[in-house]
Amino acid sequence: MKDRRLSGHLLVFAAMLLIPAVVHDTFLLRVFTEAVMWIGLAVTFDVLAGYTGYLNFGHSAFFGIGAYITAILMVRAGWHFAPAAALGGAAAGLGALIAGFPTLRLRGAYFAIATWALARAIQQGVLMMDITGGPDGMRLPALLSPGFFYYIMLGVVGVTFFAYWFLLERAPFGLKLKAVREDEQGAEALGLNPTKLKIQAFVLSAVPTGIIGGVFAYWVTFIDPASTLGDLVSDQALVMVVFGGMGTLTGPVIGAVLIFTFKTVFWAYLSDYEVLYLIILGGVIAASVVFLPDGVLGVLPQRRKGVEDHA
Amino acid sequence: MRRAVWLALIAVAVLASPLRAEEKRDFFKIGVVTELSGDLATGGNVTKRGYDLWAEAVNKTGGIAIGGKKYQVKLYYADAQSNPSQGAAAAERLITQEKVDFILGPYSSGVTIAVAPVVEKYKVPMITGSAESPLIWKQKFLYTFGTIPPVNFTGAAAIQTLVGLSPAPRTAVIFGSNDTFSKATAEAFDGAAKKAGIKVLKFNIVPAGQDLTPLMSAVKVLNPDIVAFGGHDEELIKLVKSLRQIDFTPKALLMHYGVTEPAFVDALKKDANQTFGGAVWTATEKTKGKILWKDAPTYAATAMKAFNVPADYTQAGSSAAGIAFQVALEKIKATPPVSEAKRAELVKELEKVDVETFYGRVKFATEGDFYHSNVGLNPLTIQIQNGRVVVVGPKTNAEMKAQYPMTPWSKR
Amino acid sequence: MELLPQALVDGIMLGAIYIIIAIAFSLVYGVMHVIDFAVGEWIMLGAFGGYYLFQWTRIEPLLLLPAVFVVFAAIGYPLQPLIHRVLSGRRGNPLLMGLVFTFGLSLMFRGLAQTFFGFYSLSIPSRFSNGSFFFQNGGLSVTISSVRLTGLVYALVITGILNYLLKHTDFGLGVRALAQNRDAAGLMGVNNKRTSAYVYAIYVGISAMTGVLIGMILSLSAKMGPDYTTFAFFVVVLAGMGYLAGVPAAAFLLGIIQSFFLIYLDPGYTLLAVFVLLYTILLVSPRGLFGKGV
Repeated sequence: MKDRRLSGHLLVFAAMLLIPAVVHDTFLLRVFTEAVMWIGLAVTFDVLAGYTGYLNFGHSAFFGIGAYITAILMVRAGWHFAPAAALGGAAAGLGALIAGFPTLRLRGAYFAIATWALARAIQQGVLMMDITGGPDGMRLPALLSPGFFYYIMLGVVGVTFFAYWFLLERAPFGLKLKAVREDEQGAEALGLNPTKLKIQAFVLSAVPTGIIGGVFAYWVTFIDPASTLGDLVSDQALVMVVFGGMGTLTGPVIGAVLIFTFKTVFWAYLSDYEVLYLIILGGVIAASVVFLPDGVLGVLPQRRKGVEDHA
Repeated sequence: MRRAVWLALIAVAVLASPLRAEEKRDFFKIGVVTELSGDLATGGNVTKRGYDLWAEAVNKTGGIAIGGKKYQVKLYYADAQSNPSQGAAAAERLITQEKVDFILGPYSSGVTIAVAPVVEKYKVPMITGSAESPLIWKQKFLYTFGTIPPVNFTGAAAIQTLVGLSPAPRTAVIFGSNDTFSKATAEAFDGAAKKAGIKVLKFNIVPAGQDLTPLMSAVKVLNPDIVAFGGHDEELIKLVKSLRQIDFTPKALLMHYGVTEPAFVDALKKDANQTFGGAVWTATEKTKGKILWKDAPTYAATAMKAFNVPADYTQAGSSAAGIAFQVALEKIKATPPVSEAKRAELVKELEKVDVETFYGRVKFATEGDFYHSNVGLNPLTIQIQNGRVVVVGPKTNAEMKAQYPMTPWSKR
Repeated sequence: MELLPQALVDGIMLGAIYIIIAIAFSLVYGVMHVIDFAVGEWIMLGAFGGYYLFQWTRIEPLLLLPAVFVVFAAIGYPLQPLIHRVLSGRRGNPLLMGLVFTFGLSLMFRGLAQTFFGFYSLSIPSRFSNGSFFFQNGGLSVTISSVRLTGLVYALVITGILNYLLKHTDFGLGVRALAQNRDAAGLMGVNNKRTSAYVYAIYVGISAMTGVLIGMILSLSAKMGPDYTTFAFFVVVLAGMGYLAGVPAAAFLLGIIQSFFLIYLDPGYTLLAVFVLLYTILLVSPRGLFGKGV
């Protein structure tokens, strides 16, 4: 059963590898690149929210740290993109390691607000620094090759997805996390170390997010505190995860694809009704929470059985 | 589920198939990338009014005249959602999918900087009718132009006007919000004040959108002659209310863009009076336009009729961006669709444009820190008098004498 | 030194605004255990409600506050069952579901406001907006704005009324029972649903009135919501979530910190300091300054 699912994932991934071969329209390729990016951000968000039960409202901080470290290394130190983005991911991971220890002791709403406060503090700090360009942001050298960025983004997100799949669905790590989510004291009684597990999950969520941030910076060529460190990344990732189905790997992917497609179609082809989009999106989110508590994934019949298989 | 993914991929492949023939058309397709939603939607919609007004006026005359034939123009909007990456995507969509001939650009500097590399890549010229940050022009983008001079060019003029008043102001407190435009404004004020021999008692960059009343209390104790602030619409309104609430009236209160926005006077009523601002155009300016509108008042009247909102310089600058394209297109006799070679020629021609419009002289710099920004204009110092925007400096342009020092709040 | 009294006064006046932003928000968390992401949007909608009511009637906006309260309480009342449905049942993580639901609401409200009210910033004129009182004693002087003083009085009145309601009425007893133990309160005969609905209605009404006051003191626009949501979060966490008695102290503290930063230190770092402080306090004392949050 599970191996069939893996082959399914691999098939979809292979199909996605072929996209640049059939899609020659650079705008569509850009849209696909961004869709893949949001899949990555939703999946990384879900490691903590879904598997561990901790709502990280500061997810944008990892993204922003990755973007800024990459930009600073490339622009100010003349590094190549790949090592710069890798270091961006490492910096995000290090941030998670340092912040995780004290922050993950908090629970529920307190954790959500603490991570949010930390992300806002980082944004304010970046606004006041010289090396980041402050409010002016940073401009990166423009490499305008849509195919390159599609493959880089897909590579980063694909590796992340399969690494997660292995760790969370095949290795005991995923079960341990779920044990911590359901009952922290109980997990401890079983000989698990919840603090260590939670920090591992936090770092696991942070590193790919940081790298994605780095790819984003090079791809878009311009970053500023509002677009990389604002609430957009955290809010949207959360919505995608909840809409698709939390605590699974496929749920966030479906949520990301559906929400991003809706946003993009509305934006590209119905831009006269631009403001309506906020109203509809808001309505869809609120309604999905009321009517689809397990997300879209919960209403797909063969999937529901799958979810029960896991439990 | 898997089948659905496959179907979706096939659908995409069909939709995206590149075999769309090069179209033939007898009108110009013009892309507009601007902020129609999000935090900067106020300004984005001002630029939209400017662009719309130009397109409407051109089409009313029959279109752009190329070799005896007139070609209508049609605007294609794409919303940047006040987000630089969305702006870049918007430009790419307009260029690759709509195949626009050229682009009218965003309201904000951040979005402009993210859009510029995209238009550079596809060799599609863009003129922004708004973005004012000096940073854009330092990048020296070949395909990007702007009709509004950067704020470091305009901000200094207002300080010079203030210095000429009597009794001459000797001290100032200067601060700006921590966003790219406002910070540049505050820095321009600061540089000009120091140059003019005014003592700057306090210079601060403050987080955007905050209640600054306590800061104004500190300013009140310093009792400067000038309070100068770089900020956006809502911040300016809050600041005037703060000064009023702590009852401190400096001799002169100076801001920049936003004072000329109708919302400023609407919200503050008589408290808006006597505020100074910087501008490059006002509705009463005696300009001599050769194209579409003969002077500023004619333009302002058309604008008022169309939108029922007074026109400010951003709106005028946006309409002027259209005129600049129009002039250059007629000169090089480009017919739609404009080919890549013709677009390169268009850029060369834009660099040569030197034309008097209702908005004033449009002439883009071709070198230096203001590269491709419009340096044909004289920066104006304006003041709100009886709820209206009037020009009070420099002397050659002044319509009225500056009201100075400010009437204390309590006597209004 | 000569600025010290003014710095305190400015901080207290700012704090008064934070009290009214946060107090009803805290009540709702205490009773319903929902973090309402839409709090700032209720404030925004209330501000526009007050603005248009004033344009229409030309009555002093302060006198319009009760009308705004009634209208918005009536809007809030029927929403509670929906929120209840989101929070209960077999859904895994009620806190998160509540957050996402109200986040959806907030997007909707902001979109609606941009559609109907446009993008411009406005201000609600009041005859109290203009005056100020000036006190001087030797080298020390203080200016107190009358409209901000009105805000302070309003904040204290609202706090007083809520306090009275909770401590001295049957309704309040029900609310407190509900906040402490939902099941036990039900067994004791407290009508869980109706009490929650009243609490939510009161919260929406108070937030809307707060919006009108903010429109008088500062300004209003369709995009103002998220800023005030930020401050509501801040104060409520500092006070201890759901611990009403902590709200005034936390609000004044926040106001005074901002005021001192703006006056004595580098204003650019004000928000940085605020967020770092919030984070630190959460780490050191997760249940707020008084350790009494739920």
